[in-house]
Amino acid sequence: MIEHINKQRVRKLLEAHAAGDFDAVLAHCSEDIEHFASAPIDIFPHLGRRVGKAEVRQMWEMTRSRYADVRHEIKTMICEGDQVAADLRIFLRKRDNDRIVQYDLAAFYTLRDGRISRIREIMDTFDLVQQVLECDLGRLLIAGTARP
Amino acid sequence: MTEHSLWRLSHALHRAINERHFDPLAELIDDDIDWAIYGPIDMFPFLGARLGKEAVLDAIRQIADHVRIRKLERETLMLGDSTAATMVRCAMTTQHSDKPITTRLAQFLQFRAGKLARLRILIDTFDLVEQTLGHPIDLPRIGSFA
Repeated sequence: MIEHINKQRVRKLLEAHAAGDFDAVLAHCSEDIEHFASAPIDIFPHLGRRVGKAEVRQMWEMTRSRYADVRHEIKTMICEGDQVAADLRIFLRKRDNDRIVQYDLAAFYTLRDGRISRIREIMDTFDLVQQVLECDLGRLLIAGTARP
Repeated sequence: MTEHSLWRLSHALHRAINERHFDPLAELIDDDIDWAIYGPIDMFPFLGARLGKEAVLDAIRQIADHVRIRKLERETLMLGDSTAATMVRCAMTTQHSDKPITTRLAQFLQFRAGKLARLRILIDTFDLVEQTLGHPIDLPRIGSFA
């Protein structure tokens, strides 16, 4: 059953990514892999739209240079035909101060000829920015200090 | 072929938010529903986690008090036997200022006996906050960057 196989492909990609084995990750991807994460690019300049294995690898390597001990929990995985959606909990450790960042991530994968050709990610970016900057943005906004 | 539970739920949720018809929606929600829309609850009190039908209906009433849905564009859809995942582009206006807000939502839904039993929604909330404020957030230069 193709759904079961495609779920397995996404699981293998996630496991290789967590291990930092980007050769193995990219072996599961098409040459023209497209990756897009909806996130503020002034804070996460390596995110945004990336096309092709070289650009996607560069993005993952940039993230890995700043974070270690990447792991994930799959909370839900749904597949229909050549599409897989995963509700993930991601854990990272900041290399500069060892603080743990954890966030939920919705990832949508499209497969073509058995390889992942498209990844779309949506996350609670307000919470992620707070964890990355280590500040209470809500409080700063209310106090007016985070406004222009 | 039986219609997937997602379609009835989507229709009822849309009507509840825009027309305040909550009864048809209530019939499609499991008594023990586990519901969460991730986001800053200080700014948007109707976000966050809710357990049980009454708490969820109360949250939906609060959403209806604040926004009106103008357009829903389903970009990705996956249906399982009793599950669904969607990525939706949602155009809304605020009830008080008629300010347009457009955001992309990821939804994971689980049904039990045709009723919604679990829901998770993820939103690019930083962008949502900036649109609501009407200007970009000027971030403090503290801490470590991504």
